[in-house]
Amino acid sequence: MTVNLRLLLNKLFTTLALLSVLLIVAALIGILAPILWRGGSAVVFKDTLEFRRLQLEQFGRGDPQEIEREVHQAAEVRQRAYDLLDRFSAGLDTKDLQTKVRQVHTQVVEQFAGGDMDAQQRRTKTLSRELRDELLEALDTDDAAQAEQHLQNVLSHKDDPLLRQTAAQGFAVIAEQYHSVIKRVDLKRRAEYATALGEVREELCALLGPRLGDPQPALIEKQYGATRWDAAQQHLDRLLYAESWVEQGQGVANKKVRIPRDEQFAGTDLAALFPLLREHSSEMLLPQWTCYWQYFIDDNFSGHYLGGCGPEILGTLLITVLSIVFALPLGVVAAAHLVECAADSLFTRILRTCINTLAGVPSIVFGLFGLAFFVIYVQPRLGLPPGSSILAGALTLALLVLPVIIRASEEAIRAVPRAYREASLSLGASRFRCFVGVTLPAALPGILTGLILSMSRAAGETAPILFTAGIAMGKIPQSLAQPTRTLSYGSYDMAVGDKMAALAPHNQFGMVMTLVAVVLILNIVAIVLRGRLSKRLRGL
Amino acid sequence: MQIGTQTQPTQQAVEFTRPLLLSPAQDWLGWLLGRLGAGVLTAITATSVLAVGLIFLFILREAWPFFQSGHVWEAFGSKQWHPESATAPAFGMLTIFYGSAVVTVGSLLVAAPLGLMAAMLLSDIVSFRVRQAVKPIIELLAAIPSVAYGFFAALVLAPFLQQHLGLPSGANALNCILMLSVMAIPTIVSVAEDSLSSAGRELREASYACGATRAETLIKVVVPAAHNGIIAAVILGMMRAIGETMLVWMASGNATQVPTPWYDLTQSVRTMTATIAGEMGETPKDSQHYFALFAVGLMLLVFSLGLNLVTEYLLSRVRKSSGGHA
Repeated sequence: MTVNLRLLLNKLFTTLALLSVLLIVAALIGILAPILWRGGSAVVFKDTLEFRRLQLEQFGRGDPQEIEREVHQAAEVRQRAYDLLDRFSAGLDTKDLQTKVRQVHTQVVEQFAGGDMDAQQRRTKTLSRELRDELLEALDTDDAAQAEQHLQNVLSHKDDPLLRQTAAQGFAVIAEQYHSVIKRVDLKRRAEYATALGEVREELCALLGPRLGDPQPALIEKQYGATRWDAAQQHLDRLLYAESWVEQGQGVANKKVRIPRDEQFAGTDLAALFPLLREHSSEMLLPQWTCYWQYFIDDNFSGHYLGGCGPEILGTLLITVLSIVFALPLGVVAAAHLVECAADSLFTRILRTCINTLAGVPSIVFGLFGLAFFVIYVQPRLGLPPGSSILAGALTLALLVLPVIIRASEEAIRAVPRAYREASLSLGASRFRCFVGVTLPAALPGILTGLILSMSRAAGETAPILFTAGIAMGKIPQSLAQPTRTLSYGSYDMAVGDKMAALAPHNQFGMVMTLVAVVLILNIVAIVLRGRLSKRLRGL
Repeated sequence: MQIGTQTQPTQQAVEFTRPLLLSPAQDWLGWLLGRLGAGVLTAITATSVLAVGLIFLFILREAWPFFQSGHVWEAFGSKQWHPESATAPAFGMLTIFYGSAVVTVGSLLVAAPLGLMAAMLLSDIVSFRVRQAVKPIIELLAAIPSVAYGFFAALVLAPFLQQHLGLPSGANALNCILMLSVMAIPTIVSVAEDSLSSAGRELREASYACGATRAETLIKVVVPAAHNGIIAAVILGMMRAIGETMLVWMASGNATQVPTPWYDLTQSVRTMTATIAGEMGETPKDSQHYFALFAVGLMLLVFSLGLNLVTEYLLSRVRKSSGGHA
C-alpha cells in the first residue's frame, strides 16, 4: 500500500468519525427541536377573543370591561356573516318551514276547538287544511314551476274573508317568503346545498363559537370558538374550501380535491359570506400574541383539549421528590459503606453485582414488581385502599434510581482527597465522625449532582408507574394512597390514547415539552455543577 | 486503645500528649455512634440485595402458575397469541420474541458502528476541549425520557415515514429501530470511550513509532486492546434496547405478527416489553393471561441478568488490564 493511499484512508476514517458525531448531534437537535418548538406554542401563541373570553369566564383572568368591549366590537362584524347565513338558510331549511306550516294549521284548529263549530268555521278549517297541504307540497318539490304553482294557489287565498282574523294568515307570510327564495335558489341543488350549508354552519360555530343569545352548550369546548389563531386558520380553511375525494380507479389512492366554497355557492346569497370571512376574520376574532404562562398551573378540561398541565407537573414533582426521599439515604449510606467500610469481601462483591443487576433490570419489570409487591402484596396488608397509589409508584421509582444514586455518591466520596480524611483521623475523630464531619460535606456537591440526575431519571420514567401510580385522567390526589397524573404518563396518553388531545396538537406537544424541559433543566444544572466540581478538585 | 509513639532513645522526639484515637471510655458517644453506624450502614446497604431478591421472588411468584400450566411449550412453539380469549386462549410467544429480537438487533446494527466511531473520535482524534463540549451533548441524548422519544416517534417520525416512503403506516419496525439506536448510542459511546481511553498510551506510541497512521493505530492496536470494553458497551446498548418499553410500544405498531418476508422492516411488530405494558392494564389479576405476562417479565429479567453478568465480567477485565498499565 502506498503512503498516499494510507494517508487518504486515514483522512477518510477521521471524516467518518466526525460525520458520525455530527449525525448524533443532528439527531439530538432533530428530536428536541420539534418537541420544544411546537410545545412552546402551547405557551406562547396568538390567541383570539374566544381565548380571552374563556380565561375570563373560567378563571376570572383579564379585564371584564375590555373584553366586553371587544366582544361587542367583534359582534358587529360577525353579525354581517350571520345575516348572510340566515337569509340563505331561510329558503333552504324547508324542514324548519314545514314544521312552521304545521304549527300554523294546528293553531287554526285549536282556535276552533271546544264547542260546536258553525258552517263557516268548518269551511275555514277545511280551507286551512288544503292550504297546508299545498304549502307542504310547494316546500317538498324540487321543481321550481310546480312550487310556483302551489305557492300561487296559496297566495290567491291571501285576502280570503274566511281566513281573516285567524292564524291562517301565517300561510301567506310563509308562502311569500319562500316565493322570494325560489327565485334566487336552484331548487334542484337544494339537497347538495343543505349538506354544504351544514358544514359551513358547523365550521362557523367552531370558528366563532355559539351565537350570542343562543343557548349555551353543556360542554365547555363547545361554548367557545377557536381559541387560537392557528386553529382558527384551520377552521377558516375548511370554511373557504370544501374537500372531496375523487376516485382514481381501482388500486389507486383517492385524490383529494379542494373546491372553493365561493364556487360551490356561486350565484346565491351565501356567496358573499366567503369574501367577508376571508377579509374580516381577524376583526371577528381579534388575535393578539400572548404568553399563557398559566399553562403550567391550570388544570385541563374537556380531556386535554383546553387548559394546561398543572396537575401533571404537581404529580410528577410529588412522585419524584418522594422517590428521592426514599432512595437518597439508602443510596448514600450504601455508597459510604462501599467506600469506607467494605474491603473486597464476598459481601461487597455480591453487593456490587446486585447494584449492577438493579441498574440493568428493564423498567417495565420494575413496573411489574411494583404491581406485584407494593400494590398487590404490601398495600392491602397496611390497610391502604387497593389499586395504584403515589406511594407505590414512588417506592418503585426509588428502587429504579437507587443504583444511579449509589454510583454517583460512591464516585463523589472516592473523589474526596485522602488528605482530608487523614487530617481528620489524625485529630482523633472516629471513622464515623470523620465521614460525617469531613468526607460527606466534601463529597456533597458530587452527591447533589447524582441526586439531580436521578431526579431527572425518575421524572421521565413511565413504564414503572404504568401499573403502580399513573392515571390519564382524574382528580388531583388528596393523599399519597391515591394515583396521580404525571407528565410522563400524560405524554404517553396524549400521543396515543386521548381522542380530544389529538384535536389540539399544541397541547400534546406542550405536555411533552414540559417534561423534556424539566429533564433538560435538571441535567444542565447537573452538568454545570459537575464542571465546577471537577475544576475545584483539580485545584483551579 | 492507646497508641503511643515509639521514640528512639538517642533522638529527641516530639512527645504526643494526646492519643491518636480516643478510647471508648473517653469518647463513649463517638464509639457508640461508630459501632451503631457500622451496623446500620451494613443493614441499609443490604437493601439493594434485598430489593434484587424481592424482585426475583415476586416476579417468579406471579409467573410460576404459567410455568405450571401446560402452556409453556406452546409459548416457545406457536405464533398464536390470544391470551385473553375465553374459549381457546393461545399463548404462542414467537411473534413477540421475534419483535424484540428484530428491533434490538436492528438498532444495534445502526448504533454500534456509529457509537464506536464517535467514541474513537472522542478518545483519540479531537482535543480535550472539544471532547468536554461534546460529551455532555451525547449525555443529554441519554437523559431524554423514553416517553419523549416515543412521542416523537409516534407524532413526528411516523407521519414522516408514512409520507416519504409511501407506507401504509409509519408505526413499524423501522421507526422503532431508528429511535432505539438513538437511545442506545449514548450508552455505547460513553462505555466504549472509557475503555478506549484506558487502553495504554504506550500502545499508541509504539504503534505511531512503527509508522502507522492514526486510523491504523486505532483499528489494529487500540480497538483490539480495548475489545472487552467495546463488547461490554455493545451489550449495555443491547440491554437498553431490549428493556425499552414506552418507545417501542408507541412506535412499533404492536401487531402480533412475523412479517412476510421476515426481514421486512416496514411492517408492524410487537415486542415483549410492549406486550406487558399494553396488556397488563386490562388483565384481571390471577388469570392465565396475567401469569403469562409475568412470565414474559421473568424472561426479560433473567435475560438482562445474564447479559449483566457478562458485561460485569468483561468490564472487570478492562479494569484489571488498565490497572496493570497504570
